[in-house]
Amino acid sequence: MFARRPIDHGAAGDTLSSETQMATMTSSPMATPLSSATAAQTSTRKEPPPEKLSDIRRRIWVIVSFWLIVLLLGLPVWWKTTTIHRANLPLKEMLDWADGKACRPVFPLRISIQANSLPEQEAQNLLRLTQHALDDLNDFSGHHLRLQLSSPAAPQKRNDEPDTALTIRLLPGDAVTATLDPYEPVLDITYPPNAAPSATSASSSLATYVAGQLRSTFAEEQAIISYLLSSNSIPTDYRPQSLTPEAAESLAKRTTRSLKYAPTYHLTFSLFTSGPLPSNWDIEAAIQDYLKPVLDLLSPIHNFTIDTQVQLYASPGVQNQVLSKDDLSSFINAAEWPLSPSIGGAPTVNFIVFVGNQTIALSSENARDSAEGGLTTSQSWLIPQWGTVYLLSLPHDTAHVSVDALKQPLLTFTSHLLSLTGTPSSGSLPLRLSTLSRIRSADLLLRASSTLGSLARLALALKSISIPSSVADGVSKTIVHLRQACETLGEAEGLEHARIAEAEAERAFFEKSMVGQLYFPDEHKVAVYLPLLGPVAVPLVMGMLNELKAWRKRKREAAEKGKEKKKD
Amino acid sequence: MRPSFPSSFLLSLLSLLCFSPYTAIANASSPADSISNSRSDYHEQLILRPLPLSTLLASFNFRSNTSLSAFEAHNFRFFPRSLGQILEHAGTRELHLRFSLGRWDAESWGARPWNGAREGGTGVEMWAWLEADTDEEADRKWLTLTNALSGLFCASLNFIDSTRTTRPVMSFQPEGNHIDANATNMHLLYGVLPHEVVCTENLTPFLKLLPCKGKAGIASLLDGHKLFDSSWQTMAIDIRPVCPEDGECVLQIEQSIDMVLDIDRSKRPRDNPIPRPPPAHEMKCNTSKPYHAHDTCFPTDSAANQDWSLSQIFGKPIKGTCPLTDPTVSPVCIQVPGSRVVFASEGAIEKKNPDQTSRCFDFPAENEFEIFLPAPEAQDGSVVIEHVVKPETPLLYAERSFTGHGQERGGVQTILRNPSPNQEVEFIYMESLPWFMRIYLHTISARVDGQPGKADSLIQEVYYRPAVDRARGTQLEVRMTVPPASTVFLTYDFEKSILRYTEYPPDANRGFDVAAAVITILNKDKSGGNGRNSRFAAYNLRTTTLLCNLPTPDFSMPYNVIIFTSTAIALAFGGMFNILVRRFVAANEGPESGLKKGVNKLKAKVAGILKKGKKESAPAVAAEVEEKKTE
Repeated sequence: MFARRPIDHGAAGDTLSSETQMATMTSSPMATPLSSATAAQTSTRKEPPPEKLSDIRRRIWVIVSFWLIVLLLGLPVWWKTTTIHRANLPLKEMLDWADGKACRPVFPLRISIQANSLPEQEAQNLLRLTQHALDDLNDFSGHHLRLQLSSPAAPQKRNDEPDTALTIRLLPGDAVTATLDPYEPVLDITYPPNAAPSATSASSSLATYVAGQLRSTFAEEQAIISYLLSSNSIPTDYRPQSLTPEAAESLAKRTTRSLKYAPTYHLTFSLFTSGPLPSNWDIEAAIQDYLKPVLDLLSPIHNFTIDTQVQLYASPGVQNQVLSKDDLSSFINAAEWPLSPSIGGAPTVNFIVFVGNQTIALSSENARDSAEGGLTTSQSWLIPQWGTVYLLSLPHDTAHVSVDALKQPLLTFTSHLLSLTGTPSSGSLPLRLSTLSRIRSADLLLRASSTLGSLARLALALKSISIPSSVADGVSKTIVHLRQACETLGEAEGLEHARIAEAEAERAFFEKSMVGQLYFPDEHKVAVYLPLLGPVAVPLVMGMLNELKAWRKRKREAAEKGKEKKKD
Repeated sequence: MRPSFPSSFLLSLLSLLCFSPYTAIANASSPADSISNSRSDYHEQLILRPLPLSTLLASFNFRSNTSLSAFEAHNFRFFPRSLGQILEHAGTRELHLRFSLGRWDAESWGARPWNGAREGGTGVEMWAWLEADTDEEADRKWLTLTNALSGLFCASLNFIDSTRTTRPVMSFQPEGNHIDANATNMHLLYGVLPHEVVCTENLTPFLKLLPCKGKAGIASLLDGHKLFDSSWQTMAIDIRPVCPEDGECVLQIEQSIDMVLDIDRSKRPRDNPIPRPPPAHEMKCNTSKPYHAHDTCFPTDSAANQDWSLSQIFGKPIKGTCPLTDPTVSPVCIQVPGSRVVFASEGAIEKKNPDQTSRCFDFPAENEFEIFLPAPEAQDGSVVIEHVVKPETPLLYAERSFTGHGQERGGVQTILRNPSPNQEVEFIYMESLPWFMRIYLHTISARVDGQPGKADSLIQEVYYRPAVDRARGTQLEVRMTVPPASTVFLTYDFEKSILRYTEYPPDANRGFDVAAAVITILNKDKSGGNGRNSRFAAYNLRTTTLLCNLPTPDFSMPYNVIIFTSTAIALAFGGMFNILVRRFVAANEGPESGLKKGVNKLKAKVAGILKKGKKESAPAVAAEVEEKKTE
């Protein structure tokens, strides 16, 4: 049935016509006569002689073996060489972390009460009552204050327990007062002798007072943490509903202002002046005097490197004498001022002293309030996540800026540094710093989780992206550290684990080799595959189809023959 | 314009003006600071030297010091913070960076400024001494350094990879004072980018590093339009530790710009830069020619009588002085014969040097400063007076070119000419060649012009580090001498390799730049003690870069290859497969081909239509059709 036909049709026609007369008119099953003309043509066709069974079998073997080679060798080789390496990621777990299902952030804060002047029984009762009052007041289960009585025998032991967030010292006095110690995490509460509850009384005004004080002390921390949780996709039942829109807005402002957490910050102090003077300043001594104490306090959370520079002939982007709010954003002359970030991975915080007599006009409402003073002005402004500019007005011919002249700028820088690092604004300094470390660990934990979630979603969304094993490593490390961070939240190790988890998650997410092969257009695939696969596949497929057809025909014929035999 | 009243009075007034900030600084700062102040932490100077053929060499030099203790405490005052941080991060002890453009015409301009120590080959060149324990660590630090500098100077320095980095053995020595200069942890690395085009984006960061930026002092003259329009220019940054014999070590950064300006070209107004012949009355004629008459004119070398001023050439005068600069160093000097008249703007004080070839100017910090150099007066028209200082003859002239033809092999020939009648010149010739130029070291030979045969005895020492394909380039250092008053040809052959498809740059047919050869002429008397006084090199020069043509493929090649091989495979496979699976029968035994069937069908249809149209003539048509078929 497969005939190699001669190419020359004219010659074929001649031979056909000469045979026309000889041919017996047997109706061919292949071509039914359509008209007298075609009938004359097809009538010349002969049935080829029946094929030998061994030939048919050999042909079937040839086709089958070709197909076997293609399917068993070609396809696996193609698959192996073009497949994209995708390491296994624990996608489910990653998404759980991102959705907050894997970890419920809980900050157990231990608060010890020192009541040396109260009898043991009464103190215990006071503690119980205060705890009750606290639990009644608290609507946020993630932030839990737990009271304990520190043994009066060892009052110094407080220092050995680093996980005590605050110590309450109950002292007998004339009236109920509360003062925060400015240097240590200690809340001094004085109470009149009659206010202490007896060992059996069921309620006490002192207990309520202490609970209220505690609550107000930790109110800001609670608000920040609940804001952090709510801005991430933590399920609603874990977080309180008490956040007012205004509070949320102010918190959002604070969060956008503060720098991303990093273990090290580069602080760059620059003296800019638009003219040739001053060209020298006592910045080293000034830093030593005014900034170093705060840096030392922050050292458990951040490291700092400091460098300073003097830049003359640096004209600002705005030349106005009085700077309006809009001018402030273009004051920094980014094109000319050498404020490039420091080399190395850590972010740079810029503190700029600009020598010039420009001032900043505060917004008009404030100006009207202080009508007698005329236009209210200010000297410095904070640029979110970047640093601070201080306008220092000096006599025209000052060549050297002394430590005294730098006092006010550096104090401003210090307070701005605290808000740039995200330190809460209320409370005593030690409390603010311990709060900062808790906020930072919560922040890092949430950020690492959301990075994991993004990575998981990316892996799901882009099927053609390759996932090297280093990414899988990073993810597993992140999850291990996240788990440990979650367990030790609120403690020193918690911050450390959260920090590692965040770094690993970022590294996994920003793996360079993932994006390399992301875009390989389909047209290119067609251009590469089609010229080869087209011409090869057509004979293969046609051969198989024809063989199938022939096989079916043979089967039918065999069945007809069988029927005829039966009839016979 | 010249100062007419007692200059001593003006000098004291000027020094008062200039000193006032300095005294204040000295009073306020610690004793250690005042010492360093007295040693001048910053100075800048511009030296103008008219050259023959109507050109002007302007050398800008800015130098600032910072004490090592202040550097380590990250307190940057004159030293740029950005650069300081990079040096510290990459553990760099000494750094030299060059951006150059154009060719120094030694035949007419003579010896190079700074004896060639402040220039590089065309493109970007840098070398540095890094502190590292191992070679790998040095490589890593070098990579950090090149990448960071690339960002700072907006240059493609990050392309200085291992194939363009060499470790010269003989050609360079540290300029600064290092306590352990020969210690094993000091690594010298040298990288060069001959293809880099130096332009304004490199000048801007360069100016930003200066304490007074480009706003005051001599730097106010620098702008990209003039600098990169010059015939030859080089920007150099040198950072080295300097330890004076008394006192603390300082880190010194020296920035210099040398440029050769074509005075005619620079004086053309910027909005009308097309050269036009001058009007007849402005033509300068050579009156010594016999045919000189009122209507014939043989133009003189117009350069000889050119007058110029700073603002004509640079487009603006100098905007005062930088207040930080050392008042004892005059900001502007000009090297012209003592007989020539130079006018300076009011308030400036002229100081003539005893050698009668140069004079310097001091001027008040607030004033603009301007120099006017009138054309020398022609004395009775025929005597050509000396109007420029005669250029010094360089120690050696060098020229390098390719020899040979074809795309497979080539040769390099360097012509080295010693102009001195009695002094032999000893020097180190260094080439850092790209890996795709595979040199045949056995073909390196020297030949003295005019003498038959090779003179290989001139080559005294060869240091050769062969290339590794795609990993490192060839490094060739040759110590050789050139006898007095003779020309030596140094030649070697090389083979061009074929690159991979992706290794060709976008403009592959332009050719590949081969970095300039560095020639370091050794100082004969090395007995001058240590430190900077005894310079290792007496003179440096660099040849021009070369453009090497490699065989370039047709870049549509990959798809052609795919199509071609696919066609071949498809033909072979299709034929073979068909032979294997098809059955051979007689022509009339097979089924009709699809085409023939279709044709027959069509014919039948046509016949049917015709039959319908002309029923009576149908048989005739059918017969006709049949006839046609059998034909």
